[in-house]
Amino acid sequence: MKFKCEYILASAIIISLVFLSGTSHAIPAFSRANKVECSTCHTIFPELNEYGEAFLKNSYVYIGKGKKASAGIPKAAPAAVEAKPAKPTPAPTADSAVQGAGDPELLIKLKAGKMTSGDIPLTPSAPASLSEADSVNSVTGGEVKPEWIDLAGVPEQLPISFTANLNGSYNRKAVNEFDFSTRALKLNAGGNFKGKAGFFGTYLVYTENAAGITNTGQTPTNMTGKNDIGEFFLIWRHALEIPINIKMGRFQPKLGLWKTNNKLSITNPYATYSYTVGISPFKLEQPQDAVEANMIFANRLFIAGGVVNRKEQNTKDWYIHSSIKFGGADYHANEPEIDLNQEESILDFLTLTIGGYGYVGTNGDPNTVVGMTPRQNDYYRAGADIDLLYKLFRLKLSGVLGNDDNPALTYVQPAVKSYAAAIEGDYTIFRNLIGSLRFEYVDDGVNMYRRFIPAFAYSPMENLRVSAEYKYEYGISRNSTGAAEIDNQIGTLGVTFSF
Amino acid sequence: MKMYVTLAVLMVLSVYSIAEARVKVTGRGATMNFSAEGIPESYKQIFDLMLVKCIKCHTMERTVIAIQTGKAPITGQPFNKQAVKAYGIKMLRKPNSDMNKKEIRDVVMLLNYLLDESAK
Repeated sequence: MKFKCEYILASAIIISLVFLSGTSHAIPAFSRANKVECSTCHTIFPELNEYGEAFLKNSYVYIGKGKKASAGIPKAAPAAVEAKPAKPTPAPTADSAVQGAGDPELLIKLKAGKMTSGDIPLTPSAPASLSEADSVNSVTGGEVKPEWIDLAGVPEQLPISFTANLNGSYNRKAVNEFDFSTRALKLNAGGNFKGKAGFFGTYLVYTENAAGITNTGQTPTNMTGKNDIGEFFLIWRHALEIPINIKMGRFQPKLGLWKTNNKLSITNPYATYSYTVGISPFKLEQPQDAVEANMIFANRLFIAGGVVNRKEQNTKDWYIHSSIKFGGADYHANEPEIDLNQEESILDFLTLTIGGYGYVGTNGDPNTVVGMTPRQNDYYRAGADIDLLYKLFRLKLSGVLGNDDNPALTYVQPAVKSYAAAIEGDYTIFRNLIGSLRFEYVDDGVNMYRRFIPAFAYSPMENLRVSAEYKYEYGISRNSTGAAEIDNQIGTLGVTFSF
Repeated sequence: MKMYVTLAVLMVLSVYSIAEARVKVTGRGATMNFSAEGIPESYKQIFDLMLVKCIKCHTMERTVIAIQTGKAPITGQPFNKQAVKAYGIKMLRKPNSDMNKKEIRDVVMLLNYLLDESAK
C-alpha cells in the first residue's frame, strides 16, 4: 500500500513538472488575451508596426482569429477517440416537441442512470471527430475555451492593463531647470467579444499637476490634474454581417494615419495633429463623442467617416478618411506575394501607405439657448499623410491646412488660415533601439514656429522603454502688442512601462 | 526497485516531448527543439542557421508545435506549406530579422521537409 502511494505521488510530481512548467510573461491586456509578445504589434511600444495597424483596423480581433480554417487542411492530431456515427433517432412526436423530452429511450436510460457517453446523439452541428472539433476551435485561435466563457462571450482574462510614465526634463529657461517629478498612470482596457464587437478605453488614474503649489516642503501626494477618460468606445464589428464596422463612444476620429500614441516620442505629439488655433480647443487628435463607420475594402483600402456631437450644440461635425497601402502586409495582415526563388528586389521590402482626410465642424458658445446669438467658430481641416517603410528605415510625412472663421470667438477677428507639416525619419538600429529625427513647421495664424526633435527609444524588455528626446523650438509669436521670439529647448528622459 | 525503474522511465518521458512526434523532438517547454539526429545531412547547415536566427524573437517550441500539430499555436490557423511561405516572407521583411532571401528560402525548404516528415 505504501509503495502504491509513493508511486502515485512520484507520478503526480513528474506529471506536474511536465505539464505545469514554463514561465509566464505578464504584459498588457492584448498580449495576455492573445498570448503574443508586444513586438508582434509594436516596433517599440507604443509605436505600431503593420500588424498592430491591422489589429487596430480589425477592431481588436487578432489577425487570423475569427476566420474559419478552411483555406488549408490542418493535419489532424491523433484522435484518441473517434466519435460514433449518429444513432438514428425516432422522429419526435408532437408531445415530445412540446415537452422537450427528445428521445424517450434515452430519457429512460438517463433516469435509470445507465446512460453512457456513447448514447449522446450527434447533432448536425456537432463535430464528427476530434480533429474536426479542433478545426472548429481554431475559430478562436486553436484554444479550447471553457464552455461558459464561450457562451458568455466575456474575455477569458480581465482585459485591463496599466501604463506608467516617469519623465524627467531639462529646460534651461525654466525656474526649476531640472524637473524629474512628472509622472502619469493610465488604465487601459481593450479586447473583443467573440470577434463580434471590439472595445477600448483609457482612464487617466493620475497625472502630475504643478498648478497651485503653495508649500514646497510638502510631498505632492494629491496633485492629480487628470482628464479622466481619454477614449472609451465600442465597435460593432461587421455590422449586420456586412464588412462595415460601426464605432461609437468617445474616441479620436480616424483622420491621420497614426493615432496620438503611435509614435516613438513620448512627450511630443505630431504638430499636424496637435496644433490649435486661437482659443478654439479643436485639434485633430482630440477625443470626441462620435459615431464612425469604417471598412477595409479589397484588403488594401481603408475608408472611415463619422459624425461628431458636441454638448449644447445642435450642429454636428463631419469627417472622412481614406488610406491605401502598397506593398507590405495588407490591412488583414496577409503577407504580400513574393517569389523566394527570385533575387532580392527593392519592392520586396517597400511599403507605402498614403492617407487623406477632411474635417468640418463648428465650436464656440452653445447655440441651443433661445434668444442668444452665439459666438461660434466654423472651421475645417484637410490633410494628407505618407508612411514609407523600407527595411530598417521608416519615413513619415504629414501635412494639414485649416481655416477657422472666428477662432478667438469675437466678432472682429478675421478668419485664420493655418498650416502645419511634419517629417520624421526612423531608423531601427537594433531590434530594441530606434532612433528618430523629426522636423515640424506650424503657422497657426498667431504663432509661426519650427521644431527639431531628435529622439532615441530603447526597450530593454518589451514592456519597458527608455526614451531620450530633445526639442528645439524657435519662431515668432504675433499678437496685438507686436511680435515675440519663440525659443524653447527642452530635453526629456523618460521611462514608460506597461503591466 | 520497481519504483526506481518506474521513476526512471517517467523521468525519461518527461525529458522527451509528451506529444507523439513523427519528427524527433527533444526537451519540453521553452527548451523544446527538433532533434538534430532527425535532420538529414543535407539540411544540417540550414537547421543550424534556423537555430541561430529564429530564436532571436521566439523559442523553437513555437515552431515544433506548429510542425507537429499542423497549426500555428497562437492563431490556430493551418500551418501548411502555404503558411510556411507566408511566415518566411514575414520574417524576410521583419526589421532586424537579419535574414536574406536565400536564407529564408532555405529555412522554408527545411520546414516543408519537416511538415512532410510529420505527415508520414
